[in-house]
Amino acid sequence: MAQLRRATVIGLVVGIVMLYLAGVGLIGAFANREVVTEYLSLGQLMLLAPLLLGGYAMARQAASVIQRLAIGAMAGGMGGAVFALGILAVLALSPGIRDVFIRINENLLSFVLFGLDPGPGALLIVGLGLGLGLVGASLPVVPPSVRRGLLSGVAGVILMSMLEPFVRPRLTDFDLHDVVVFLYQARGLRPVAALVVFAVSALLGLGWRPARAEVSRRFAEADPGAQRMWRWVAALLVIAFIVTLPQLTGVFLTQVLVLVGLYVLLGLGLNIVVGYAGLLDLGYVAFYAVGAYFTALLTSPTSSLGIGLNFWVALPLVVLGSAMIGLFIGAPVLRLRGDYLAIVTLGFGEIARVLFLSDALAPWFGGVQGILSIPDIIGEGTYALPLLGEIRGPAATYYPLVGFCLVAAFVAWRLKYSRTGRAWNAMREDEDVAQATGVNIVNYKLLAFAMGAAIGCLGGAIFATHLESVFPGTFNVLVSITVLAVVILGGMGSIPGVVLGSFALIGLPELLREFAEFKLLVYGGVLVLMMILRPEGFVPDVTRRRELHEAEEGEEDEGDDGDENLTPRDATQPAPIQA
Amino acid sequence: MTTVELETIGSAEESAILLEARDVTKQFEGLVANREIDFSIPRHSIVSIIGPNGAGKTTFFNQLSGIYHPTSGQITLDEVDITNLAPHQVAQLGVARTYQNIRLFQNMTVLANVMVGRHVRSSGAWFAAVFGLPGIVREEEAIRRRSYELLELVGLRRRVAHELAKNLPYGDQRRLEVARALASDPVLLLLDEPTAGMNPRETRRMTEFIGRLRHDLHLTILLIEHDMKVVMGVSERITVLDYGEKIAEGTPEEIRANPRVIEAYLGKQATA
Repeated sequence: MAQLRRATVIGLVVGIVMLYLAGVGLIGAFANREVVTEYLSLGQLMLLAPLLLGGYAMARQAASVIQRLAIGAMAGGMGGAVFALGILAVLALSPGIRDVFIRINENLLSFVLFGLDPGPGALLIVGLGLGLGLVGASLPVVPPSVRRGLLSGVAGVILMSMLEPFVRPRLTDFDLHDVVVFLYQARGLRPVAALVVFAVSALLGLGWRPARAEVSRRFAEADPGAQRMWRWVAALLVIAFIVTLPQLTGVFLTQVLVLVGLYVLLGLGLNIVVGYAGLLDLGYVAFYAVGAYFTALLTSPTSSLGIGLNFWVALPLVVLGSAMIGLFIGAPVLRLRGDYLAIVTLGFGEIARVLFLSDALAPWFGGVQGILSIPDIIGEGTYALPLLGEIRGPAATYYPLVGFCLVAAFVAWRLKYSRTGRAWNAMREDEDVAQATGVNIVNYKLLAFAMGAAIGCLGGAIFATHLESVFPGTFNVLVSITVLAVVILGGMGSIPGVVLGSFALIGLPELLREFAEFKLLVYGGVLVLMMILRPEGFVPDVTRRRELHEAEEGEEDEGDDGDENLTPRDATQPAPIQA
Repeated sequence: MTTVELETIGSAEESAILLEARDVTKQFEGLVANREIDFSIPRHSIVSIIGPNGAGKTTFFNQLSGIYHPTSGQITLDEVDITNLAPHQVAQLGVARTYQNIRLFQNMTVLANVMVGRHVRSSGAWFAAVFGLPGIVREEEAIRRRSYELLELVGLRRRVAHELAKNLPYGDQRRLEVARALASDPVLLLLDEPTAGMNPRETRRMTEFIGRLRHDLHLTILLIEHDMKVVMGVSERITVLDYGEKIAEGTPEEIRANPRVIEAYLGKQATA
């Protein structure tokens, strides 16, 4: 009985989610973005995915396999029925009221009813719901490795079709026209190509874990000299990949990479303030703005200073100045905690924007007009690199940006595993106890703000030279929120998390143009889901593993053989107050 | 047990009294939490403060560790005035403490908790860490080694060193708090109800452990308890607080026999 009630509830939720997605226009927006040409569009995927997930959510609870499948199918069918009824109800409304739901127009209706009449269409939806619920419910029965394979196969197909606008011209550039013809038809994948892509991605997904385990096992068995060599080889491969990326991806994707890189920098800086030191700063955009404006003032010949310094000469001044601003903002909020700190920093962020915008300060900062003609970072925006030849366009920003990101990540990494990082963490966990343990709270808070500011301003500096101009409107509160979302999504205090978070929140939306107007809606939804399902983030902080410096010699986690050499004194250890 | 270098403070090294509180009064708005308390701790002794719940024990404790500052009166450690020092300065001078309701750094590892305790006995600055200066690598290694030693000393296994502190069972959390406090090489260890929530057997073990700590690490220890039985065995001197005032002081035997103490603990009928 309880199971039935749950299935009903999940079915209702699924149906309402589907109605919501259709109602706000997400499904309509993606209706014509084809994944597999003539067979499947992204809109259909979005419409049907909740049915599958509903079945999956149900099945994790039930006792026997049969019960699982039945209840999953029921939840899916229920979801489909709710959605179909909702759509029919909208159809039955008088035209005046129907106009309220402007997104639910004839096109959308015919799309969600698969071009059928309302009656058969609704039945088809319920049928699909039953089927997909059943499939979803059977997923937990499948071995995890197979599930991973299926998942990565689907992800591969979606990604390849989404990347069509970028892959097609690049492949053509490299004279691979045959591959283009094989892969794509119109904007989607050819059915055969989709199968191939699915198979390849699924195999990669299946093979990834065993391969990684095998590699790390062999690595652990190798002698230290060989280990060092392989580490260098891996590092060189990664560097080579990063360096050739703009050549491979082309101008547009490089532009996206620059945007992602900017947020990586900002995220790394904010991660120190929020993730390490636990100071919830909602005005981080202030440091971004300060970095951009300081750079503009110092380097642009038309700014109020008009000294037109070289970027690299100006950079140390910008960093120092921003760190000072960090101290300046940090000082008044030393006594504030949690929500109070968040509100005050939110205010500081807005103050920064308003100051740069204000007429009173316009003689210095240019007010609404901002500051123009900021020179490029290196040369006149084009320069030559060995092997890569002439660098121009966004790639000219990409290389220094990657350098900055690496430096910032290195600094963040070193700080994290230092006395300073531990003091910050202690402060985050319990400020009073940290102080009673000897941590000078005032100094460490100020240091966190100054560090965050110094790294954030690098992002601003690059941003200013990339656009060759700065305007106050850019530095609004949404930037602060987005950077915070990047940090939270990736995992607080985690450096790889920041990189992954930037790619997910900044990179992906750029690939889907149709997505733009729903960006914030989806951000909100993703954050809510993350907080419920995985509050520690995609790549949780792994302090624990790094602390095992013995880990460098191989195994780290549990496993008795690994533990033996960690606890040579275990047997003789006194157990004074062993319970 | 590993050898421990004893951190000595100041030049007045061997005065008999380590900590002295004179006439300490703490007032919160209208409420007097501590009234004119005179109190001293002889070096290398174990001294206890007892009293019913709400007697002002923890308030007094918090003033010793710099978390509160007395409304009036003076506190000296080794003849250094610490009355108005901030908690981190008091910690620097060699006062370490534990908490009645365990307060670990929950989301840090067991080892990191102890390493933070070492903060005041290390000096690595952020730029040294960023540039990886040679001194810092050695210091980190020393901090780590010492932290492992302390984990062992309090009876925590090496294999839990990389667990998050919050995942430890209750008794181990108490021990970890002691290890964190010991990491600062304290001269004075303040233990706030170290046996709270323990069963009689664990309590006995803990009191034995406290006695050994004093001996092995040359510590001076101040205990707070509301359960009289716990402190009788280990303390040389006991001070009794009630309603913020010191009502008795003396050896365990004297305290056991003191009518005012019995009254404070059991009510008037018991003495009649």
